[in-house]
Parts: sequence; C-alpha cells; structure tokens
Amino acid sequence: MTLRSTVAAFAGRSSYWFLHTFMKGGSSLPGKITTKIDPEILKHLGQNYDVIVITGTNGKTLTTALTVRVLKQKYSSILTNPTGSNMEQGIVTTFLRAPKVKGARPIAVLEVDEANVIKVTKYIKPKAFVFTNIFRDQMDRYGEIYTTYQKIIDGVALAPEATIIANGDAPIFHSKNLPNPIIYYGFKQQDETDMKAKPNTDGVLCPNCQHILHYRYLTYSNLGKYFCPNCGYKRPELKFAVTKVSDLTPTSSTFEVDGHPMKIEIGGLYNIYNALAAYAVGRFLGVTAEQIDAAFSEDKKVFGRQEVINLDGKQVTLILVKNPVGLNQVLDMIATDKKPFSFVGLLNANYADGIDTSWIWDGNFEKLAQLNIPAYITGGERYKDITFRLKVAGVPDDKHQVVPELKDVVEKIKTLPTEHVYVLATYTAVLQLRKLLADQGYIKEGMGA
Amino acid sequence: MTYELNVAHLYGDLMNTYGDVGNILALNYYAKQMDVKLNVHVVSLDEDFEADKYDLAFFGGGQDFEQVIVSKDIQTKKRALTAFIEDGGPVLAICGGFQLLGHYYVDAKGDKIPGIGALDHYTLSQDNHRFIGDIVIKNEETGETYHGFENHQGRTFLGKDERPLGNVIQGKGNNGEDGTEGAIYKNVYCSYFHGPILTRNGNLAKRLLVAALKRSYPDADLAKQEALPIAATF
Repeated sequence: MTLRSTVAAFAGRSSYWFLHTFMKGGSSLPGKITTKIDPEILKHLGQNYDVIVITGTNGKTLTTALTVRVLKQKYSSILTNPTGSNMEQGIVTTFLRAPKVKGARPIAVLEVDEANVIKVTKYIKPKAFVFTNIFRDQMDRYGEIYTTYQKIIDGVALAPEATIIANGDAPIFHSKNLPNPIIYYGFKQQDETDMKAKPNTDGVLCPNCQHILHYRYLTYSNLGKYFCPNCGYKRPELKFAVTKVSDLTPTSSTFEVDGHPMKIEIGGLYNIYNALAAYAVGRFLGVTAEQIDAAFSEDKKVFGRQEVINLDGKQVTLILVKNPVGLNQVLDMIATDKKPFSFVGLLNANYADGIDTSWIWDGNFEKLAQLNIPAYITGGERYKDITFRLKVAGVPDDKHQVVPELKDVVEKIKTLPTEHVYVLATYTAVLQLRKLLADQGYIKEGMGA
Repeated sequence: MTYELNVAHLYGDLMNTYGDVGNILALNYYAKQMDVKLNVHVVSLDEDFEADKYDLAFFGGGQDFEQVIVSKDIQTKKRALTAFIEDGGPVLAICGGFQLLGHYYVDAKGDKIPGIGALDHYTLSQDNHRFIGDIVIKNEETGETYHGFENHQGRTFLGKDERPLGNVIQGKGNNGEDGTEGAIYKNVYCSYFHGPILTRNGNLAKRLLVAALKRSYPDADLAKQEALPIAATF
C-alpha cells in the first residue's frame, strides 16, 4: 500500500470503530472518509481478493446471501457487504471492516447497485459478474431498462476478462456482444408451446430485429425460453438449469437443478432464480452440486426480505415491495398459501419508495381479488392510491378497511379475522412500521433479517 | 350489460410504461358502473388498426427504444387513425402516445422521430433534464381540475386547432413555458399525466366513455350515464 492509502484506510477503519462503538452503526461514512483521503483506495483494498460482483434490478440481496452460503462450502473466509451498502462508499467500508486474512487468497461476494458497477470496476477487476435480471424499476429514479443495462455494461467493459454469469431467460442479457466469457443459467421445462408475454410486460422486443419475441415457455415477466419468429434469434444454451419445480409454498421451494433435488426455505419462484444464480457461481468456482444442496439446506433460518412478526398472536409476514415485477412475484407467492390470510397494503411515495405511485397499476392486484381473502386493509401516506387500486381490482368494500395512519393499522391488524396476515409495504412504510413495532416491543430495532 | 364498446389499446405490449395500463383498468371500472361492457384489444406491430371496429382508442407512453420502433410501424396505421380521429372517435393518448399523434418529437439523443401528424403539435427535447413531479391543471371550459404525475423530457407545443387539456396550476405541463398541459382536438384527449390519469380523474374517464357511447349508440338515452357521480380518488 502507498502511504496515502495506508493513512486513508486507517482513517476509515478508525471511524468505523468509533461509529460502532459509540454510535448506532454507520455503514457508508467510513467509506466516505477513506475515499476522500485516497480516491483510489478500492484498488488497494480489493487487490488481494477474488471478487464476485452481483448486480441487477431484483434479487441482488438474496443471491448474494445464497452465494456466500454456497461458497462457505469451499472458502473459509468470505467477505460480503450488508444489504443497503451496495454503492461505492458502502463497498469501501466493507473492505475496511474486513479482518486481515492469512493464507489462501480470500474471496469477496459483493452486491453492487447497477449504476455503481463502474465505480467498482474502475479499481477492481472482478473474477465474475452475476446478472440477475433487469426490470422496470422506480422510473423517476432509474430510467429505462436499456439505460440500466448500459450502465452495467459500461462497468463490465473495464473488466473484459471477468466471466459473466447471467440469467439466460432474460433477453436483455443476450443483446450485446461482449468480449467476456459468458455462462447462462435458466429454466428448462418439458412442455413447450408458442406464446407471447402478457401485454403489460417490459422488454419484449427482439434485440436483433425488433419484432415481438415469442416464448416456448415463460416463467414470469419476460423471462423464459424466448425466440424470434422473424429472424430466428433465440435464448442461448444454458449451462446450469432448473429442470423441475416440485413444490412452491410461501415459505419454501422444492426444485431440481441439473437433476439434483434442492430445497430453499424461502418462497417465490423468483427466489429459485436467485438460488440458481448462487448455484452457478458455486459450480463456476468448483463447489459440487451435493455441497450446494447441503449449503441450501443446512441453515433453516428464514432469511431475505420476508420477516414474520408475532403481533399479539397474529403471525404477520412483512414483505418489502418496490417495483411491479417484484410485487407480482410476491402476489403469486402468497397465492400459494393454503391457510387463510388477511392482506394489508401500505403505500408511501417518498424518495426511497419512488415518488411516482403509478407503478402499483402494473401490479396484478386483480389476482388478489380472486383469492377469497376475508379482510383487507390499505394505509400509508398514499393510502388513497392503494385503496382505489384495490377497489378497481375488485376487492369488495365490505371486506376492505381504509386505515391511513400506521399506528392505527397496527391496532387493526390485531382485530383481523385470520391468524395469518401478509403486509406488503414500500420501503419507507416498512421502516416506519418497524419503528412503531420496535417502540411497542414487538421487534428489535433495525432493518431486520 | 346494455352497451358494449370495443377499445383499441394501441401498442399495449410496447407502450406501457409508468402503469399506463391503469387507464384501461379505470375505464373498465367506470364502464361497469355505466352499464357498458368493454372489450379491449391490443393493436400492435404489423397489425392493422381497423377504424370501423373500434369505439375508443388508448395510446400509452413507452421507453425511448420501443417508441422509435412504434414510430415506424404507426405510419402504416396513419391513414386509419387519422380517419378515426377526424370522424370524432374518442382517443386518450399519454406521453409518448401524445407525442406520436403529433408531427414529430425530438428524442433524448437529438434524433427527430416522425409522428403521424393527426394532431397539429410537435415536441422538442431538453438537454439532460426532465419535468418530474406532481402536477395539477384546470380546464377552464369545464371547470374540472385534474391531478397527476409528470415525468417527461419532451417539450410539446400545441397547434392552432388544439386546446390544452388544462392550464397548469402546479407543475410544468407541456413545455414549462406557456402554462398549457395536454391537448384536446375533437374527441382526442392528450396528456403527459401518469398516475395514471384516469385513476385519479374519473371525470375524464366518464367524458371519454360518454363520447364513445354517443358516437356508437347515437339514439340511446344516456341520461343515466351522464349523471354518474364520480367519487374523488385522490
């Protein structure tokens, strides 16, 4: 290390220690201090690591967590960043915080925000990139899917030797010629047909000739075995594939990867993609399928973005929703619940939620209205928007209570007719609700699982 | 249901950003209350727009890439769409749909993309800036106030035969200069509003549905439909 980097790293590490000892956390400030003193600090901090960068719209956090779990089968020490620290400063902090490693070259598995990939690759040449998916996100902040992908690609261009491990079912990941070696993962189904994606789906144009893509099968949104009837463009060969989905419940998924049975303790088809991505990284780095299965099943703890809170006997599952594809996957997932449940939708429109609430209209709440749910509550700062959304979806007024204030929502939940309650909430609504519940002693402070 | 209306959802598979499909859902919601069954058809690339088949058309906004593809294809529908509009066919066009009904728009890269010129407006770009935020406008003729969310790079300037959908009370509107938002020409309503527009402004949904009913059922007594009360949703 240069003297400057040493000073910078020392200053950053000291501030991390200070923040954690005397304050309540602080994940990006040490990174800020360090990069201020030495803008190239990431180069010095990262050069001793094999780095895996995980990026995409949805699934970054869980894919990162699962990948870490898989790689633990082979590596004794793995560095990773906590959720929410996926921008440059948070990544610098992650390296600063790392204990000194002796012996084998350590590995770092980093979740990186799409626009921050280039800020990382400017200094670090990763061993591999993982692309989960690119979907329509909060458009007042992120812009269009093609712009987002271009940002990622601009970052990848600085690391042309890194292997890309990409979701092969996403047409956008097969739309550019890149010098990097590429491995695709996806779903292989037996039943094939000829269909189009649902009309309200993003990214359905052939990257080659701009005709509408057709599919042999679709998993969700625009993911599946696509082909272009006009020019013959089609999904690339998959190296790793989910070959069977045996059982989907809101809390677990049973499936096969390349014929190996696997189970993860989290619901949602989209999370099988995340597990598959982790599997692909594991296999790429020499972890066996048996070891990966063991990694998935040895830790039964529920993780990810679903948190179950006991509210005076009500089992409340709190789920963060932030964009239409994620929301639709959550709606599909709770539809697999065999037990009766009530539904609560909390909508805010602060900067972190996206200030435009239009996206809720891309959510398939019509599906919800068909599930025979006995009670609904809508609330949050934009309760009027989510209330009308459910009304239009066909939710009957006599089962639907409008409760704007979250503190009143908490009380109303206790009176719901079912033991089981799903709460879908946007980012700041989750924070506000957790704060309320923490103040009342139902949960501990912090962002949770 | 006593009445039936066929809705053309123009390029519904490509022009569907920002929850614009909510306009179709809101139309359907109010149509049911007006004793009207809506049949919605997506009319997309390489398909004809059969003007006689439809009672109402909706044209939403899209991403830049999709919009360029649509701008080429829509030229093949130009004649039929223009005839529909001139004949008083009701249309709701949002954002990119609004732009493509006009003469042209200049996209973020500075390319001039042709529209179909069925309406007399044109759209320029602005450098590295978008109009983003909540917007409120008022239509001086009807006294109706509309609420929405705007998010557009284009700056649209209306032609002499067009009236604005409303005058800007809060927000930027068509171009941030002349205080207009959207356009009205015959039974065509254009706007930059997301939200989507019809979910927050049920009175406009009703206006479109009544216009479509009057045109397709000229002898019907629509007093009940015209009297439908619209509850505030925003």
